Amino acid sequence: MAKTTDRSDYLTDSEKAESQSAVNTKPRYWEHRGNRNNMWRMLNFVLLAAGSLLILSPLWWMFATSLKTMAEVMSYPPSFFPESWEWSNYIRAWRAAPFTTYTINTITITTLVVIGSVLANSFIAYGFAKIPFRGKGIWFAIVLSTMMIPGFVTLIPQYVLFANLGWVNTYYPLIVPHFFGSAFYIFLLRQFYMTIPTELIEAAKIEGASHFYIWWKIGLPLTKPALATVAIFSFNGAWNDFLGPLLYLNDENLYTLQLGLAVFKGQLSTQWNYLMAGSLLVLLPVILLFFFFQKYFIQGINLSSGGK
Amino acid sequence: MGKRKLTIRRKESIYGYIFIMPFIVGFFAFTAGPLLFSLAGSFTDYNITSRMDFVGVENYQSLIVDDGLFRTSLWNTIYYVAFSVPLTTLGAIFISALLNQDVPGIRVFRTLYYLPAVLSGVGVYLLWMQLLEPGTGMVNLLLGWVGIDGPNWLYDPDWTKPSLILMKLWSVGGSMLLYLASMQGVSRSLYEAAEIDGASRWRQFIHITIPMITPVIFFDVVTSLIGGFQIFQEAYIMSGNGEGGPANSLLFYNLYMWNQAFESFDMGYAMAMSWILFVIVFVLTLINLKLAPRWVHYEGEEK
Amino acid sequence: MKNLRIFLLILTSTTLMLSACAGFQTSDSSEGQTNEEGKTVVDFWSFWGSEIRRPIIDKIVADFNASQDEIEVKHTYSPWGDIWTKELAAIAAGNPPDVVINDINATAIRGKENQAMNLSEFIDDDFSDKFYPELWNATLYEGDSYGIPFNTDTRVLFYNKDTFEEVGLDPEDPPETWEELEEYAAKLDVKNGDDYDRLGFYPLWGVGYDVWLLNANGENYFGADNNVDTVNINTETNVEVLNWLKSWRDRIGEDVVNSYQAQIDSQQGNPFFSGDLAMLVQQPTFYTQISEYAEDLNFGVAPLPEYEPGNGHTSWGGGFVAEIPEGSSDPEAAWEFIEYLTGAEAQEYWAVQNFDNVANIEAAEAAAQSDEFSEEGQMVYQIAVESMENTLLTPAPVEAPGFYNYINPHVDEFFLGSMTAEEALAQAQADVEDLIESNQ
Repeated sequence: MAKTTDRSDYLTDSEKAESQSAVNTKPRYWEHRGNRNNMWRMLNFVLLAAGSLLILSPLWWMFATSLKTMAEVMSYPPSFFPESWEWSNYIRAWRAAPFTTYTINTITITTLVVIGSVLANSFIAYGFAKIPFRGKGIWFAIVLSTMMIPGFVTLIPQYVLFANLGWVNTYYPLIVPHFFGSAFYIFLLRQFYMTIPTELIEAAKIEGASHFYIWWKIGLPLTKPALATVAIFSFNGAWNDFLGPLLYLNDENLYTLQLGLAVFKGQLSTQWNYLMAGSLLVLLPVILLFFFFQKYFIQGINLSSGGK
Repeated sequence: MGKRKLTIRRKESIYGYIFIMPFIVGFFAFTAGPLLFSLAGSFTDYNITSRMDFVGVENYQSLIVDDGLFRTSLWNTIYYVAFSVPLTTLGAIFISALLNQDVPGIRVFRTLYYLPAVLSGVGVYLLWMQLLEPGTGMVNLLLGWVGIDGPNWLYDPDWTKPSLILMKLWSVGGSMLLYLASMQGVSRSLYEAAEIDGASRWRQFIHITIPMITPVIFFDVVTSLIGGFQIFQEAYIMSGNGEGGPANSLLFYNLYMWNQAFESFDMGYAMAMSWILFVIVFVLTLINLKLAPRWVHYEGEEK
Repeated sequence: MKNLRIFLLILTSTTLMLSACAGFQTSDSSEGQTNEEGKTVVDFWSFWGSEIRRPIIDKIVADFNASQDEIEVKHTYSPWGDIWTKELAAIAAGNPPDVVINDINATAIRGKENQAMNLSEFIDDDFSDKFYPELWNATLYEGDSYGIPFNTDTRVLFYNKDTFEEVGLDPEDPPETWEELEEYAAKLDVKNGDDYDRLGFYPLWGVGYDVWLLNANGENYFGADNNVDTVNINTETNVEVLNWLKSWRDRIGEDVVNSYQAQIDSQQGNPFFSGDLAMLVQQPTFYTQISEYAEDLNFGVAPLPEYEPGNGHTSWGGGFVAEIPEGSSDPEAAWEFIEYLTGAEAQEYWAVQNFDNVANIEAAEAAAQSDEFSEEGQMVYQIAVESMENTLLTPAPVEAPGFYNYINPHVDEFFLGSMTAEEALAQAQADVEDLIESNQ
């Protein structure tokens, strides 16, 4: 294990590029294109559009259900378009539980988790990728190992641990661990750091820069797409987390959105229209965030002007 | 000279540990204890609330020697991993390649393809149960339009696992994000050079894009393998009350473990199961790491 | 990069402001709690969070709180199913709530595992008389009760009176035996090629195969008092019953069964409402769906038919108990609340507001007369109450937790055609015996 992560083991390639430095140059590649290129773009567009239909059809089902009356949801055969568009379902779903409070709670937790995840994992991953040190292989193996044990068997001892810290019924168990890194993101960011040319770092070191400085000034900016990915993933993860809030929060005033959505699914029946309306409302901020966050990993291509 | 080199190396070591210190602290504070507890618990008849007596290797023994459901669940899980990991990896690379191009509305497309990954939890699985309903569900409706008589999906033991794989493919947009981020890092100059040489789009994709994103492919394969072995909630919801039916076809490893731990309260047994899974996944990951140098290409390789 | 850092800065400062809120204040909750007024606080967890049920349970809690001045019950909703994982973790950590609603069928196991408290110290000699004996017995482990029955259910036969009349059957004389059931069903069938315009009956809608086994045997798979010295899975009767069930499927045809099933699952599209299905086994609460979707339906309710004349109209049910988790900070106060919760007044309120079967006999019988129900509602509720006498539970023996997980897969294979009934039941029997052996 130790040996595999040793840098000398990896295949070395002559093609050590000025790759990253070229990232920010203007996309000349997209200029001067012929018909063949346009044909490719057409095909690309058609494929994407067709795929979108497949992706969207289950979502349409969800959306349609959210607008039906409960009687229509339960009718047979199910209708593809709602008979009457019950927009009030959204309001009623929102009022079925204190969702406004839940939203504030969820935003609080999620924001802190994202900050913790981005900073801690980036910092740790830099160490694993770019600094040679003794015992690195073993520690990296431990990092990966923490992903391999199913959470169920550590769930109870972990709960007992947090209970002894007096953290039950607070947000600490949901947030604090994220400031100490997690295997998935460490591994992911390490993969991205590995692609940064070592020369860049060596050069900075010769000029007297410390690793902290290099991480902050070179590492962070060059891995921006990866950091954006970590931010989106960890946002998504914290936003959708169900088990953590379920276990650790006892006071309903502290509940999160995912716990709130559970009220629509009872022992005997599910209020499909409210469940779907609520799910879509909860989804909305995540979609918006993603839509606007995209620019962080769209660096080389300037889309609006690229086609001219 | 020798002495100086030594001090530099030591200094680097200290730096290294400073950088990974958050992980080490977090590991010892939050993770190591519960992990060790579960290892110790696997040699006991721990029942969570009142009992924890040492029973030696009894749990391991009865799992490996006697337990037919253990074998069923392991087989189901391997089946699922063997199909879902390659399919989702290829699917994600393909979609990312399409989404890494300059076409009108690309931001909207990217958001659309990522959408299913954002949706998670019970609601989605319930939704898919409706979609896969043989008589009225949308999947068979769509198949009917192209003249295919759809199967009984979640009711037919031969089709239950494919049902789950289909659902996984729908939400492949999650790893699409990784590939997209990685493809963004590939230097334009490489493509320009290839263009001048007259290389086709396809050749560019195979000879430039793919090699440059191998670090992320490697990451994706390793993590989805680890994740695939831990499939749980899909089966828990979609097999009806977590029983793993019909005919045990959705009894995955973690589902069986869950039932042992939280239905039968035989937590010691479940802990033994988790460590057997750990060994299996660890060995597979090790093989992956050993094979990596043959195909994973790190641009910034240290010399 | 600059933007990113400004972004981070703004985020951090906002959240620092937010951190003053309640989610960041630790408190020691393991000690017995009292509120500002000096009342003992009883933490009560239930999974009743829906629009319909939440107000009902909250009203019961409020009534209790108003009825005395020592105790204040604080009701917390936690999601259905997951609530028990949460409870278990809290018990393991030593700071559980004081009262939790839990599944009646595993009460004995929770007693054995020291999850729930032994309630015998609180219970008077005649306390158990208030509840249906079958429910009460399900809560016992080694003779002591570990949870007090709250609500329950049963299975009854709904039938369409108009269709009975149409084919010359007496609408006031529903089928008494399996034989009559088959005979009536055949008369009620209206075939149309391979399809049906109307189906008389199909036994596996609304209930599983195990209810028919229970009905035929009049007892559970295990011996008296749920002892596991005898395991009666692979028996001649059971083989016969499985084959009988399958004969329905073979006669009616897979496609018809599936298509009707989908309609039944959809609720409103239930063919029973439209008269396309003449008889259907359901829980009594099915009445609330009838009154919502098919107000004018002329229907009757009867106990499940019996296997042979004189065999008994055995039906099947489940239910929930109120229990005190081991480690509760104030069991006496918790008990007072449980007594109220399972008392006649609260139980009747629950029964009437929910149209739900309750465990308290007095409350159940009072509810059947309730003015809040329509005449039809009273009739259905009355049959439900009568059916409770013949209703068996299938609690898991402490030696065989989750035993059905070892039977169902084999029976699945039987219905899928890859095993005979004998093979399936023989394997199920062997698996359950192995399970028992490994737990002894």
